[in-house]
Amino acid sequence: MIDSQQASAALDDINDVVRRVRQSRIYQTASLIIIMWGLLVFLGYIANYTWPPLGYAIWIVTDLVGIAGSIGIAAFSGVGPGAGAFAIRLLMAFVLFIAFGIFCSVVLGHFGPRQMLVFWPIFTMLFYALAGLWFGYAFIVIALGTSALIVIGYFYAGPALLLWMAVVHGGGLVVGGLWMRRI
Amino acid sequence: MAELDEIIHQPLRLRIMAALNALPVSTGLEFARLKKLTGATDGNLGAHIETLAKAGYVAVDKAFVGKKPQTTVTATAAGRGAFARHVATLQQIIAGKQP
Repeated sequence: MIDSQQASAALDDINDVVRRVRQSRIYQTASLIIIMWGLLVFLGYIANYTWPPLGYAIWIVTDLVGIAGSIGIAAFSGVGPGAGAFAIRLLMAFVLFIAFGIFCSVVLGHFGPRQMLVFWPIFTMLFYALAGLWFGYAFIVIALGTSALIVIGYFYAGPALLLWMAVVHGGGLVVGGLWMRRI
Repeated sequence: MAELDEIIHQPLRLRIMAALNALPVSTGLEFARLKKLTGATDGNLGAHIETLAKAGYVAVDKAFVGKKPQTTVTATAAGRGAFARHVATLQQIIAGKQP
């Protein structure tokens, strides 16, 4: 038989493994969603660069496909009990976040195309960073790394900003998602 | 008086069962991921999984994904029950209800 100290150490060990498994499952699902968004926005930037007048339509389609794909991946990944209610709360938080972004960028800010181009990616990266406080440091690393590169492009990429965004935003998400799957 | 499960009590087997038990029923973990999550080495993990499989606590499924062999380990109903009893016994020991 073991004493209470050894029993307590065994339970701590169990809790540590359970925490790792939960984080791993979150990373496995989230990384797929992040990679998908990376590919989508990469194509979006390239399409926007190729057909500038269709910019708004391109991004509406990109976002709708992305949202549908995210819901599909989350549903297909299989989640534990209580995860459905949690996913709805997360979705509501995201909707509020986006509503605030629209209020800032359109109503208050009257951003031009260049500002708009960098505002939304950085704003969504802020959501990733906040999520990282609960779900793991990988989200924060991806958010901060991608945002820093976007800001550099805003100041220095000049007319090639759309191409820069395709590489650092789209490519950054794909690389970040692949990295997340390995940790 | 409840007894600790001697098969599960070994530290690495405890971690293996904790990892598998944290998944939804019938969901397994691929060998490489299990190795990472438990901090085990290849040979070590294989030997302990075999012990758990012989006790009927885990099911081992070997398949090919493309040309790569993939081993998936899943906790059985018996394994989940034994793990739950083991954890309950640990909690009783901490609460002072066991010697």
